[in-house]
Amino acid sequence: MAVDVLSAGKTQLPSMARTQSRRLAVRHFKLSLLLPLIALFAFLLMPVLLLQLYFSFHQWTVYLGSWSEADFVGLDLFREVLTDPRFGWAVVRSLAFATSSTLGCFVFGFLLAYLMYKPFRGQAFFYIIFILPMLTVPVVVAYTAEMMLYQSGPINDLISRIIGVDFKPAWLSNPDIALATVALLEIWNWTPFSFIILLAGLSAIPKEPIEAAEILGASKWRIFWEVQLPLLRPVIFLALVLRFLEAMAEFPKTWALFQGGPGSATETLPIYIFMTTWQYFQISKGAAMSYIVMLLMVVIVLIAIQLLRREKRSLDQMYELRAKEAES
Amino acid sequence: MSRSGFSRRTFLQGSVGLTVANFVPGTTPFAHAATMEEQTIAAAKAAGKADVNGMIWSPYLVPMKPVIAEFTKETGIGIGAVQDISIFDAPQRAMAEALSRSPQFDFIHIDSNMIPSLASAGYLEPLDEYIKKAGFHLDAVADYGNFMKYGGQTYGVPTDGNVHIQYTRKDLIDNPDNKKRFADKFGVELKVPETWEENLRLQEFLMDPSKDLYGSGNLRNRANGPTWWYMIYYSAGGFPFDDDMKPTLDTPAGQYAVDLYLQDKKVNHPEAANWGTPQMIPRIAQGHVVSCQYWDGTCKTIANPKQSKTVDQFYFSLVPGSKFTGKMVHRSISSPLAAILINKYSPRKAQAAYLALWLGSGKNSIPIVSDPVNAFNDAWAKEHMKAEPVLKAYTPEGIKAVETNFQVVAPPIYLTGYLEFQDALGKNLSEAYVGQLPAKDVLKKTENEWNAIIGRIGRSKLKNDLVSYKAVMPKKALPT
Repeated sequence: MAVDVLSAGKTQLPSMARTQSRRLAVRHFKLSLLLPLIALFAFLLMPVLLLQLYFSFHQWTVYLGSWSEADFVGLDLFREVLTDPRFGWAVVRSLAFATSSTLGCFVFGFLLAYLMYKPFRGQAFFYIIFILPMLTVPVVVAYTAEMMLYQSGPINDLISRIIGVDFKPAWLSNPDIALATVALLEIWNWTPFSFIILLAGLSAIPKEPIEAAEILGASKWRIFWEVQLPLLRPVIFLALVLRFLEAMAEFPKTWALFQGGPGSATETLPIYIFMTTWQYFQISKGAAMSYIVMLLMVVIVLIAIQLLRREKRSLDQMYELRAKEAES
Repeated sequence: MSRSGFSRRTFLQGSVGLTVANFVPGTTPFAHAATMEEQTIAAAKAAGKADVNGMIWSPYLVPMKPVIAEFTKETGIGIGAVQDISIFDAPQRAMAEALSRSPQFDFIHIDSNMIPSLASAGYLEPLDEYIKKAGFHLDAVADYGNFMKYGGQTYGVPTDGNVHIQYTRKDLIDNPDNKKRFADKFGVELKVPETWEENLRLQEFLMDPSKDLYGSGNLRNRANGPTWWYMIYYSAGGFPFDDDMKPTLDTPAGQYAVDLYLQDKKVNHPEAANWGTPQMIPRIAQGHVVSCQYWDGTCKTIANPKQSKTVDQFYFSLVPGSKFTGKMVHRSISSPLAAILINKYSPRKAQAAYLALWLGSGKNSIPIVSDPVNAFNDAWAKEHMKAEPVLKAYTPEGIKAVETNFQVVAPPIYLTGYLEFQDALGKNLSEAYVGQLPAKDVLKKTENEWNAIIGRIGRSKLKNDLVSYKAVMPKKALPT
C-alpha cells in the first residue's frame, strides 16, 4: 500500500512540475509578445504624453523663449479651455458630426451587408465595388467632391434632372449645411468599413437558430428582428464604436474643403485643436485641449467596453439557456 | 626671394598700353566696377560649394530653376532637397521648424508677414552682413523693400510682389448702351471706379446673374477675406492699434470697412463665402466678373490667350480709395508676399543667403516674374517695371497698375502672432458674411480676441514690433 502511495506520488510530482513549467513557458511567450508593445508605449507614447502633460501645465509663448522656460500655470489652461465657447461649440459640432456620420455609415453598411451575406453570382465584383470608397484617400474625396458639389455642379444638376425640380443647395458655402456636407462625404467614404464588419458578423451567425425559426414558421422579418439582430448586436456595437471614434478625429476632408468655415460652421475639435496649436502657435492650450479630448474619448471607450461586455454576457447567457433547453 | 623681372619702364609702358586698349571698341575692358551680381558670386564662392535644402512651393520654384542653374555653374551652390509645400501651409511648417530649432531647411520660401513671428522665435538669420558683403541693393518699387525689415534688420528677399490691383471689365464699361443707361440713372459717367462706393455701384449696375455675370470677384472666405477688409479700412484712415497696442478696430473707420465688406454679398457669387483663388481666378479670366481687386499675377493669366477668355477685356488700375477721412486715400495690399528667408540654425546659411540675393537681383528676377505659365512670382523691382519680358507678360497697362499700387501698398498685421490676429478677424468677418454674427459685433468681438492675443504675447514686446509695422505702412495718401 505504502509502495503504491509512494509510486503514485512519484508519478504525480513530475506531471505537476510539467504543468507548472508549461504555464511558465506560456507566460513567457505572452510576455515576449507583449514586450514590444510595452516598449513602444514606454519609449514612444509615454514621453509624448508626458511632454504634452508638461505643456498643459506650463504656459509656453513660443515667441518669447524656449519650452523649458515656460511658466507653470497649474490648471489655468484647462480652465481656459473649458470656459472657451469656441471649444464648447467644437465639441458640439464634433459630436453631431460623429453621431450623424456613424449612423449613416451603419444604416448603409448594414443594408449592403444584408444584401451581400448570402453567396450569389458576381458577389466578388460587388464586394470590390462596395469597398472602393474606403480605399480612396480622404483628401482626394474632398477635392473631387468640391468639383461636384458647386451650386451649379454635376450633383445638383443630376438631382434636379431626376426630381424634375430645380435643386440648388449651396453645399460648400451655406453654413447651415456645410457640416452635413462633410458628414455625407464621411458616410460615402467610410460606409465600406461598417459594411465589412457587419458582413463578417452576419456571415458568422450560426445557421441553426435561423433554421429552427424557419421550421417553426417564423416570417423573414421576425427571423431578422428576433434572431439575427440580437445575435449581431455585439458586432453592431463594435462597428458603431469604432466608426464613432474615427469620425471624432476626422480632419482631412473638413480641412481640405472648409478650413473651419464658412464662418465657423465646420470648426470641429480636430480643426480647432490644429488651428490653436499650429495656426496660433498656442502649443500649451493645444496640449490642454488634447488632454481634455483624450479624456472624453477614454470615457466614451470605457462606456463602450462596458456595453460590449454586457452584450457579450447576455449572448453567452442566451447560448447557455439554449444549450440547456436542447439537452433537456 | 627673387627680384621681379619687370623694370619700372616696362611696367609703365605696359600700363599705358592697356589703358589705351581699354578704349579700343570691341576689346574687353581690363578693369571695371563689379556688378551686384558679380559681387554676389564672389561672396558666394568664398562661402564654398554646397547644395542647400529648402521649403518652397513648386509653382514658385519652377521659373527660378534656370536662374539657380546659372548660379550653380558660377559658384557650385545649388539646390538639394526641396520640401514642396503650399505657401498657405508653409507658416505652420516653418514654425514647427523654428520651435525645434531644426537645421533641416537652409531656406524657406514663405509669406513675409511671418517675419516678425519667425524672427521672434529665433529662427531667422539677419541678412544685412551678407547684403553688405555682396554689395546687394534691394531695388524694390517705392518703399516696398521695407516689407523685408523687422526690428531694424533685413530678413528676407522678395520673389513675389503680390500687390493687389483693380480689374474692371473694359468691354462692359465702354459699351455705349451701358454708358447711356448708367448716365441716365446716376447722372455720372460710367468709368473705372475711384472709390469703394463707386465700385459697388458699378458692380450692382452691370451684374447679370442670369448670364452668370456677377459684380464682384473678390474673396470672402475665412482665410483671404481680411485682405480686402484691410484695404478699405486703411483707406478710411484706420490703423489697427494705438501706440499702447490697444486695438482700434471698433471705430467709425472700422465699421465703415465692415459695412462695405459685407455689401459685397449683394454683388458676389452666392458661393463666394467659401471660395478661394482656385475658384475665383478662372471666373475672372472666363469673364464672369465685372470688377475686383486681385493679385497682380492675374494680369498675366488674363493676358495669356491659352488661359483666358478675357484678353484685352480688362482695365488694370489703382484699387479704389475712400474719402472717409475727408481727403482721398488709396491703400492697396500685399499678402501673402512671398520671400526667401534663411534659417539661423542652418550649417549652410551663408550659401543659402547668397543664393537668395542672387535670385533677388532686379536683373536676375526678370525671367522669374515674367513666366506667363508659372505665374506665381509677381513683379516687384524697379527693373521689372521697364523690362520687355515683364511688360509683355503683364501688358504695359498692367505693369503701370502694379507700379502705381506699389506706391500705396500696405501689409496686413505685421506683428509677432500675425496668423492669430489674422484668423480672429477672418473668422469673425466670415461669420458676419454668412449671417452667423451681427455686423455690429464683428469688430468688438475681434478686439476682445486680439486683447487676449496681446496679453499672451506681451504688450511691451508688441509695442516694439509696432515700430516695424508702422515703418512698413505707406506714407502717401495717393500715388504720384
